[in-house]
Amino acid sequence: MADLYFDDVTKRFGGVQALAGVSGQVEQGEIVGLVGPNGSGKSTLINLLSGYLEAEGGKITFGGEDITDRPAHRIIEMGIARTYQIPRPFGTMTALENVSLPLMFGTARHDPGRARSEAQQWLEFTGLERHADTPVAGLNLHQLKYLELARALATRPRLLFLDEVLSGLNPTEITQSIEMVRRIHADGITIVIVEHLVRVVTELATRIVVLDRGRVIAEGEPTTVMRDPEVVVAYLGTRGRHA
Amino acid sequence: MRLRPAAAATVVLAVALWFVPEFADGFPIFYLLFAYNVFFWIAQASSWNLFTGSSGYFSFGQGAYYGVGVYTVGVLVAKRGWPLLPTFVVAGILGALLGLFIGLIVFRLRKLRGEIFALMTLAVAFVMGAVARVSSTIDGGQGIPLSGVELPQALGDFPAMIFRLGLIVATLAVLAAQVLHHSRLGWGLFAIRDDEAVAENLGVPTFRFKMMALGISAFLASLSGAVHSLQISYVTIEDVFNIRVPLLVILMSILGGTRHWMGPVVGALVVYTLNDRLNAAGLQDVSDLIVGGLLIFMIVAVKEGLYLRARQRPLRAAIGFAVGIGPPIVLGLTDSAITVMAYGLLGAVLLLMLPVTAPVEEAVPVHG
Repeated sequence: MADLYFDDVTKRFGGVQALAGVSGQVEQGEIVGLVGPNGSGKSTLINLLSGYLEAEGGKITFGGEDITDRPAHRIIEMGIARTYQIPRPFGTMTALENVSLPLMFGTARHDPGRARSEAQQWLEFTGLERHADTPVAGLNLHQLKYLELARALATRPRLLFLDEVLSGLNPTEITQSIEMVRRIHADGITIVIVEHLVRVVTELATRIVVLDRGRVIAEGEPTTVMRDPEVVVAYLGTRGRHA
Repeated sequence: MRLRPAAAATVVLAVALWFVPEFADGFPIFYLLFAYNVFFWIAQASSWNLFTGSSGYFSFGQGAYYGVGVYTVGVLVAKRGWPLLPTFVVAGILGALLGLFIGLIVFRLRKLRGEIFALMTLAVAFVMGAVARVSSTIDGGQGIPLSGVELPQALGDFPAMIFRLGLIVATLAVLAAQVLHHSRLGWGLFAIRDDEAVAENLGVPTFRFKMMALGISAFLASLSGAVHSLQISYVTIEDVFNIRVPLLVILMSILGGTRHWMGPVVGALVVYTLNDRLNAAGLQDVSDLIVGGLLIFMIVAVKEGLYLRARQRPLRAAIGFAVGIGPPIVLGLTDSAITVMAYGLLGAVLLLMLPVTAPVEEAVPVHG
């Protein structure tokens, strides 16, 4: 049974149709790679499915429950978490405080003291334990991306959206991060990953969905999809240069 | 819930202060009245900071809540003869309802955030003033004499009574700020201040939390206003619904520091003391100039506020205070302990404002 269903979801920003009726599903245990050129609607789709933004039309269900109009703070209780493309830590807090925050809410609802002690384990999982008391201003991009992961994982999600966790990282950091995503998946968390690096996505994903101008133009097994002529055109333009 | 050291210390201090009027015989009563005013401003600044300092939503509405408190006593006690003490509670509730009403409008309209909230709160104070002026049940533009209000005898004579009432409200406000600082509500608000959308997405019920904090803040401000009405002999709209109260609480909180519950306490003590002494010396205009200058300097140079800076540099604060009280003692200006304290505070403030070499923010566990 599919875990997350979305049917004909639409979103418009001013005059721009960011999503023109997108449907699909994510099944338990998958790693879905969500790809497409800039402005194709990948981040918007993640924003809608994670409850960050409200869909204008369409329907979203998770585990059989309609979550289309559910307030964002209650989506997390359902087991859906996400990271942000550009890390958005709580700027006046330390790394540990950032991770302890979601533990005070959602299903955990711990008091601040207990939340802190539990947050520690997620810092360890992401290798940030030495930076527990570092204010976020003192972390580099790689660490901030891991902090995003730790904060999302602390909510104990069943489904995790990763919005460009690898962008801006150097090759060594990318290798480490891919390893991290695999470990998270091995722990039984379903993953939807948005990524620009096609090589990485085809390597990680069990299935790929390609968006272009707010529509799904292809989906299926990674290597097949990336050879689809329409996908090649969308990505590279009509001349079909090699990436 | 276990009692934190800060809360225990606050309660012990409050109990000790409660008995001060007993020993105040032969002690000029203006010390009690001065202390009452410090309590009043501590309550007002703490109440403002409880919402704005935590959530980041800048409020100019303090005057409206304060005014509701003053006018509740004016209408219900002075005009209708209600008993005073229960009316205090009614005043607090009316203030909270006003806060919740503003919150309901602003926070439900999702796109109206930040600046709009500030403007809304400012507008409400003016609207409240206009309503009071038009409505003859409230004021009708005539003002209300409050000197005839029957005072409770149990708390002592007037100076002792108002000292104790002010102490209770200030203690409540400080305790509320402390509890908030260490609670889920407080953390949720800090997250809202840093990034509201992310906070909501991580499970913080942002609307409910903002409403709760605003309600508590407005309750305390209005309660404090109700007590303050006893110090006013004749209340008028112009004296109550003006910009003075909101500006002063903002000034005190920012000067003392908005990120810690002690910030508004320190700010209230410093600003009120300096203001009072300069006014007593007939230097009203200079007072505004000095206080305004301090504010500008604080915003630019000491973002964390006096309290956290003093905690970082306790020696500087102590030396500044010692140097400050030197000249008045040497020059024999010791007729009033308040004057000496004002010099001490000024010395400490000035020394704390000198640049520091180490990055202060990293070393101070603000939420600890």
